[in-house]
Amino acid sequence: MKDQINLVEKEAREDLSRIDSVDSAEAFRVAYLGKKGKLTELFKKLGAVPPEEKKAVGAELNRVKQWLESAVEEFRQKAPKTGAPLEMFDETLPGVRPTQGSIHLLQQTIQEISGIFSRMGFETVEGPEIETEFHNFTALNIPLDHPSRDAFDTFYTTHGQLLRSQTSTVQIRVMKERKPPLKIIAPGRVYRPDTVDASHSFMFHQIEGLMVDDRVTFSDLKGVLHLFLRELFGSQTKIRFRPHFFPFTEPSVEIDIQWGKGWLEILGAGSVDPNVFKEVKYDTSVVRGFAFGLGVERIAMLRHGINDIRHFYENDLRFLRQF
Amino acid sequence: MRISTNWLKDFVELAPPVARIADRLTLAGLEVKKCEQLTQPSDTLFEIEITSNRPDWLSHFGVAREIAAVENISLKNPVVDSEAGRTPPPGWKIQIKDVAGCPYYTGVLIEGITETQTPDFIVNRLLACGIRSINLIVDITNYVLLEVGQPLHAFDADLIRGKEIVVRKPKQGEKFALINGAQIELKPDDLVIADSDRAVALAGVMGGKDSEISDKTRNVFLESAFFNPGRVRKTSRIHQLSSDSSYRFERRVDPEGVDLGRSRALALIQKYAKPRYMSAVIKAGEKPQLDVKTVHFRIEEVKQVLGVEIKPSQIASILTRLGLDAKPHSEGVLKVGIPSFRPDLTRSIDLIEEIARIYGYEHIPETLPVREPLTVGESPRLVLERKVRNFLSGAGLCETVTFSLISEDGLDPVKDLKQAVQIVNPLQHGLHWMRPTLVTSLLTVIQKNVNAGADSIPLFEVANVYSAPDAHKHPVEERVCAIALYGKKAAQTWLDAARAVTFYDLKGYVEAILKSAGCADLCVAKIQKNYFAEGIAEELRTWQTPLAFLGQVSEELLKKWDLKEPVYYAEISLEKLLAQSQKVRLFQEWPKYPAIERDLSLVVKGLVKGGDLITEIRGMGQGLIRDVELFDLFRGKRVPEGCKNLAFRIIYQSAERTLVSDEVQKLHDKIAQTLVQKYQASFQI
Repeated sequence: MKDQINLVEKEAREDLSRIDSVDSAEAFRVAYLGKKGKLTELFKKLGAVPPEEKKAVGAELNRVKQWLESAVEEFRQKAPKTGAPLEMFDETLPGVRPTQGSIHLLQQTIQEISGIFSRMGFETVEGPEIETEFHNFTALNIPLDHPSRDAFDTFYTTHGQLLRSQTSTVQIRVMKERKPPLKIIAPGRVYRPDTVDASHSFMFHQIEGLMVDDRVTFSDLKGVLHLFLRELFGSQTKIRFRPHFFPFTEPSVEIDIQWGKGWLEILGAGSVDPNVFKEVKYDTSVVRGFAFGLGVERIAMLRHGINDIRHFYENDLRFLRQF
Repeated sequence: MRISTNWLKDFVELAPPVARIADRLTLAGLEVKKCEQLTQPSDTLFEIEITSNRPDWLSHFGVAREIAAVENISLKNPVVDSEAGRTPPPGWKIQIKDVAGCPYYTGVLIEGITETQTPDFIVNRLLACGIRSINLIVDITNYVLLEVGQPLHAFDADLIRGKEIVVRKPKQGEKFALINGAQIELKPDDLVIADSDRAVALAGVMGGKDSEISDKTRNVFLESAFFNPGRVRKTSRIHQLSSDSSYRFERRVDPEGVDLGRSRALALIQKYAKPRYMSAVIKAGEKPQLDVKTVHFRIEEVKQVLGVEIKPSQIASILTRLGLDAKPHSEGVLKVGIPSFRPDLTRSIDLIEEIARIYGYEHIPETLPVREPLTVGESPRLVLERKVRNFLSGAGLCETVTFSLISEDGLDPVKDLKQAVQIVNPLQHGLHWMRPTLVTSLLTVIQKNVNAGADSIPLFEVANVYSAPDAHKHPVEERVCAIALYGKKAAQTWLDAARAVTFYDLKGYVEAILKSAGCADLCVAKIQKNYFAEGIAEELRTWQTPLAFLGQVSEELLKKWDLKEPVYYAEISLEKLLAQSQKVRLFQEWPKYPAIERDLSLVVKGLVKGGDLITEIRGMGQGLIRDVELFDLFRGKRVPEGCKNLAFRIIYQSAERTLVSDEVQKLHDKIAQTLVQKYQASFQI
């Protein structure tokens, strides 16, 4: 019996060397391991083997069987290289992607900034874009026919309204409607008749912020805005507070962040001028507050390395889908 | 403004490096934008930016005064002429006929100029500050303007008729030839300097051609005056004339500077022009006084406003350094005298800002407000907007931001623009409408992207549309979500074929938004809009409220925007949707009993509407139909010409019991029979 097994094994070794295709591999498998295969036939004879040899012969048969199976399997693994390709799972094909949509970068920036202030307890509110002289100028302590208006060139409608040149108008509307304490931010579109170039546009976005209660101080303004800038630009952000002039705040401040070797203006702010409180009939002996305003485009341009403001309004899909 | 540091050194000591001084000034609010190094003569220029509240900084002496305050060092005054011991010019007189326009006017007659050469240092300093040398007298007036901030004007005295200076309003229709050669017609609110015959200067703005100083001038009348800031500003704006003089007058010059500027100029004229004769000063009017000359100021306010304790002695020191006269008034109160050059200081808050500025913003601590928490609501509209944005961007659309100002291109002057809000001073490209729809804005975006090679352009924008339905009321702004689809719905992939976008893709987005906001029971109505193709436009309503409209953009507009494929456009009113939507959704139990599905495939005439069939089917359901879905629609093949095949899946389900198959089959057959009769439908395929 053992000799027979050795013979079959020897034959098999010779046949194996001749295998050159998937088909011949399959024929080889059938010839030895099929229902009537040579090795299968030997297994059938195992019953006739004397009991004392059965164990050793069985082990030998199994050894050869395993060798044959692994040889066939090994050939199958190699097969595609030599023979016709086998159909199989292709893990390298690209996925079928859904169409990529996007939320506009300016909107994402507004949402992010609103989110930071919301965590500090500021509520997001909105106001109209078509406004009155009162909300855009008078109530904000910007006198008619004064050089301080030069910075606020304005579009007017045929019926004497104007397009707001700043989101500070929303401060006035909210204060006229509500009593302190107040913590609000107001994002939105603003308009100034500036010729469009790489850094100017006649329409852009601002976010106005306002906090009013009975004790708020200039040091609170510094704390809140520094915290905000750290959240937006990272905890290592270096900033400086520089005195400035805005008609509606006193003291007023511009905040610069360090950018490369220089400083870049990023925020305007200040303690609310008592004249503004008077316009909305707040008691200036009790009420204090601070306000701030920032340009959304400017911040988005800085953070994302965009060098031309026109990208925001041209809406090239290659721009929109990057963010 | 450009400031020469060499010039500053006439008044203050600048401890080097000057870059440090520049930083100090910037951090005190006098922003030095740029430092520029000059050679021959060696100098450092500061490019400074001055806010409109600080005209007193618009001169070298003014900047030096600030440096003295910031650095706590002493300040030298400019060398001036004593103006003493001279006689008035015989026969000359000044008359102010418009005191509001010119409260104070002074002049000096200078005769027999013997030198005309401008010394190098004046030429160089003017040049460094961007002013070209013209002739000695004009150079001296410019020099004084840059040095002490007082604009002066020099007339050729021989060209002044009648030895008379009159400050008055223009006569009706009076014309005037400017020094720059232009001829203007004077306006009633202008203010002119005139001689006995005619205007010789536009007060505070520009001199006249007829009395200009020339190389031949030997006799000069020198003017130094205070003109009303508002009036100068008005004249400067109305004639679109701006000068270094008008810039300063409209911001208000220091009334004391009128005398200082004049006596400084006289000192320079005396020294370099060597005139034979200088008259005594002739004056008219009074120097305007400050509205508020003293401010009483409680020291404790500093802490209340700034949140930092500053010692009273330090407060007093800061105020004094700034040229203010701070004296103790009563316990904790200072009485502060305001100098003539600081009309911006009228209230204690103004003084607190000055204290903060000089104390240094960087030394004020940073604190966070400790307060009772406020409830922070979130506007339901903003919540809805966020939902819409997330849905549409998730579905593959890109959000755009386009200008709210548009031209009338593509819109109908009556149908679209009759109630639109118009801008009187548009900037460019005829953008003078506040848009009543976003359709043309999005067409422009599509066009740009087509030109850039895109073939699938799905866009949306959330923005306002504007209208003025009542001209006497404030215009209305309505927040809408606009959607525009162009080209392919999906590109070809190795699994799927490409497909062009259709009207029903657009409708699907709109329906999904309305339904996810909780608006069930939508009904549809055909509409017409000027910018949509005839017959391919509809409106979705809930009850009687229109929530959205959508359609296919007209051929005419496609041509205008040079687009080859159709554009589908929708506008959803977010305000109206919000009003109709459910704020908090209540859970709805689904039926416990199993559903039975039956399909119904019908061939009907091409004009039969699918929606009518669905309504019909539902109407016959005896309360047992949960849903009817259209799952197939085709024409051609075995379907007769002029007909279409619609395949519905009807889902039968009862909330109360398990339906029996026979019962459903009976109902299904009955529905089928009814439709066959009513719509001349057939089952054949």
